Amino acid sequence: MDKRRVRNNIRKLRFHHDEMTQEQLAEKVGVTRQTIIAIEQGKYSPSLELAFRVALVFGVPLEEVFSYTFDDDSAKTA
Amino acid sequence: MSYQEKNITVSLVSTLLILGYYLVNVFQMYQDGGLVAARVFRLWAIVIVAGIIVNIVSSILTNIVLSIVHAIKTRTEEEERFIEDERDKLIGLNGMRVSYIMFSIGVLLAMLTFVFGQPPLVMFSLIIFFSLVAEIVGDISQIYRYRRGF
Repeated sequence: MDKRRVRNNIRKLRFHHDEMTQEQLAEKVGVTRQTIIAIEQGKYSPSLELAFRVALVFGVPLEEVFSYTFDDDSAKTA
Repeated sequence: MSYQEKNITVSLVSTLLILGYYLVNVFQMYQDGGLVAARVFRLWAIVIVAGIIVNIVSSILTNIVLSIVHAIKTRTEEEERFIEDERDKLIGLNGMRVSYIMFSIGVLLAMLTFVFGQPPLVMFSLIIFFSLVAEIVGDISQIYRYRRGF
């Protein structure tokens, strides 16, 4: 089975949105700051609904926030 | 430490205290000459009622104390967001699963003592003991998950 994992660009997107804090993002999507931290660190994969809510806050498509890639960043193809 | 973590920690400490009270009483009974039905069932009732009351009261007190601490820290009347999100729910469900498995094993072990010729009071004492241990293990597993991220 492929060793893939959910990765995200939340840290980068927060930076590009006036350095939005984790607390502000958490409030906007209706979760705790600890959940945002866990998602950012790749320790928790959010539900599809929460993932869409995060993408909506940043005004970008889902794929720009989350990606499903191989553990090693080698150029493997699906 | 998040609000949920603090709540679970308070629950863990209160369950540990109840377990301590229970064990002290059981050992006292053994020192007095063995398990006595009336005392065992009274202890059962005390532990169950105390477990329910202590959990409710400690949860309310934790809420009040955390709100006061938050108000003092931020010096505003703005309420802190004590919300339970999807991650909290998943961690809670996992903790319940761990508790359930632990309690099932405990009940099985308690039944085995009965099968091997021990008096029924030993089985009853072990069932309440394992119900407390199951709650403690469930709380610890939740705290572990919170510390780890998920």
